[in-house]
Amino acid sequence: MLPRLAWRNLWRQRTRTLILISAVTFSYALLLVAMGVGDDSHQQMLDAAVEGAGGDVLVHRDGYWSTLAADLVLPDGLAVAERARGVEGVAEAIPRIRLPALVSTADGARAVDLLAVDPLVEEALVDIHEHLVEGERLDATALESPILLGIRMAEDLETEVGGRVVLTASGWDGELTRALFRVAGFLETGIREVDETLAYTTLQAAWGALGDSATVTQVGVLVQEGTDVEVLAEALREGLGRDGVPVEVLTWRQAVPEMVGFIETDDAFLYIYAAVMFVVVAFAIANTFLVAVTERVREFGLLNALGLRGRRIGVLVLVETAVLTLVAVGVGFAIALAGHLAIDHWGIPIAIWGMEDMELAGVNISDMVMRSQITTSKWIVATVAVMVTTVGSAVFAAVKAARLVPAEAMRFYE
Amino acid sequence: MSEPLIRAEGVTKVFRQGELEVHALRGVDLTVGVGEFSALAGPSGCGKTTLLNLIGALDEPSGGVLSVAGQDVTQLARGDAADFRLDHVGFVFQAYNLVPVLTAYENAEFTLLLRGASREERRTVVEPLLERVGLGGLFERKPHELSGGQQQRVAVVRALATSPSIVLADEPTANLDSTASAGLLDLMLELNQELGTTFLFATHDELVLERAKRVVRMLDGRVDEDIWD
Ligand SMILES: Nc1ncnc2c1ncn2[C@@H]1O[C@H](COP(=O)(O)OP(=O)(O)O)[C@@H](O)[C@H]1O
Ligand SMILES: [Mg+2]
Repeated sequence: MLPRLAWRNLWRQRTRTLILISAVTFSYALLLVAMGVGDDSHQQMLDAAVEGAGGDVLVHRDGYWSTLAADLVLPDGLAVAERARGVEGVAEAIPRIRLPALVSTADGARAVDLLAVDPLVEEALVDIHEHLVEGERLDATALESPILLGIRMAEDLETEVGGRVVLTASGWDGELTRALFRVAGFLETGIREVDETLAYTTLQAAWGALGDSATVTQVGVLVQEGTDVEVLAEALREGLGRDGVPVEVLTWRQAVPEMVGFIETDDAFLYIYAAVMFVVVAFAIANTFLVAVTERVREFGLLNALGLRGRRIGVLVLVETAVLTLVAVGVGFAIALAGHLAIDHWGIPIAIWGMEDMELAGVNISDMVMRSQITTSKWIVATVAVMVTTVGSAVFAAVKAARLVPAEAMRFYE
Repeated sequence: MSEPLIRAEGVTKVFRQGELEVHALRGVDLTVGVGEFSALAGPSGCGKTTLLNLIGALDEPSGGVLSVAGQDVTQLARGDAADFRLDHVGFVFQAYNLVPVLTAYENAEFTLLLRGASREERRTVVEPLLERVGLGGLFERKPHELSGGQQQRVAVVRALATSPSIVLADEPTANLDSTASAGLLDLMLELNQELGTTFLFATHDELVLERAKRVVRMLDGRVDEDIWD
């Protein structure tokens, strides 16, 4: 009976109810969509940052990550990778060399971020050939000492596929080393800065140039699904730190703190928006229902006189808000879901905001397409929060209605 | 002699309005027996409504003894008072008797619904009563689609549906023209005779006083005269 009465009571003041419902509906839907887009772009940025850093957990010579000093290396990197693979929860351990270097031809020289990888193992983290526009893959070429170059750099240096370049870098001993490489192909990401500095080679070729056969600067570790990164990092510290050179083991949180910080700040802004929204909605509801109770004092007095207990009259008011909330949440959820699906399907390229070369915490996101993802727990929390806020803000009005003294309430309009 | 339906002894009621004390009832002695069709009369402000409210457990007396249907109603908790009203009292007020969002039928069955009667139980009681008071065919009307007299008839049906110990009617005809008033009162009198339900009015309407078997005249919060037909 109470729901039926509540439902009809709501529609007595149709405009007022519709305004309230729309307010709740749209702020709720907006919150969900904002969370969907936010969570997805954060995920993308984080993925990009983790990819750029080299893995979920990074193993270096102690002190390397903060200084990138060329002499802080893992002399027996392959063995470190092999031991890491033996640790429970490790999906893959990827040895690689990161080295600032100079690539030169007769037409000039360019500074590059050289990455020497095992192309097959690297595949587990990132497809380095995704942007190959010309030439051959590192794992398919017959060239000796092959190198892939960013297309803009290649154009500046006027090289072509199969052409020779000279790589100059500081060797493990600090001495300058020069070596001849052959251009296997060009990479084009579309991001100017990347296309000007990107260079990939194989570990074998790098070792050939540097005169070594086991040293790496980093072992990137990928964790198995469902593994706690912190726990795994601790296990790696235990397993790798015991003998040999001192190592540092960093989780992605520690490896890309700027990105983690940026995401946390961004989320915080969303929560602030949500809090402000909740306060506004709560205020509107509390106010409207107080007015509604005042308008209906005579009627509540009648219901009470007829034998409806005060507490149930309070419940009636709460049921009215609950019904209003359910309608708003239902419609709002449908709108949010439609928005989520549309955004996820078509995507919003970040480029439409005209930001070229946009970089966030060291990750270039100018080619990012914002999509949407549902973080179930967050959507549930938001939904419960909306319901609790709306129904909760009518409690004051409900208590007032429940406490009416029938004799006085009935005199109200006499 | 068995216990009267209503027994009031030295009932007082003081309303406090800030510093001001209004002595609405100054010691009312009254007994009402089962099956009576009686009226409280007297000038406006003499305390009729106040007394009726106390009898109906809508309010608490400030002093005195008051029992209704064997129940001491002087110190009922709020919830118990609501239950008492539902169990023992039928109300017909002057106006705003009906819940605006409910139809005539839903209003009429409202008290039975509160008592937890099944749909079928409600229908077998309410339908014949509505027909009986001449509202057949108007079941689905909302209160604003009914005339004042029709609204009061719905209220009478609602009051009688639970077979209460007593029906309290506070100025039930005050908003009706004389034809509608006479019709409503004749109906209530007939129901009193058919069902034996006790009716107690508060009114200064001559049409009521003509029909009442007993008129209790009040003055300044006391019973002034008690006249039996
Ligand atoms: N809730 C109240 N607060 C203050 N005074 C009241 C209240 N109810 C009734 N009174 C006063 O009590 C007196 C009796 O009122 P009432 O019983 O309504 O008279 P009647 O119904 O006979 O016209 C009046 O003076 C009225 O103003
Ligand atoms: Mg009165």
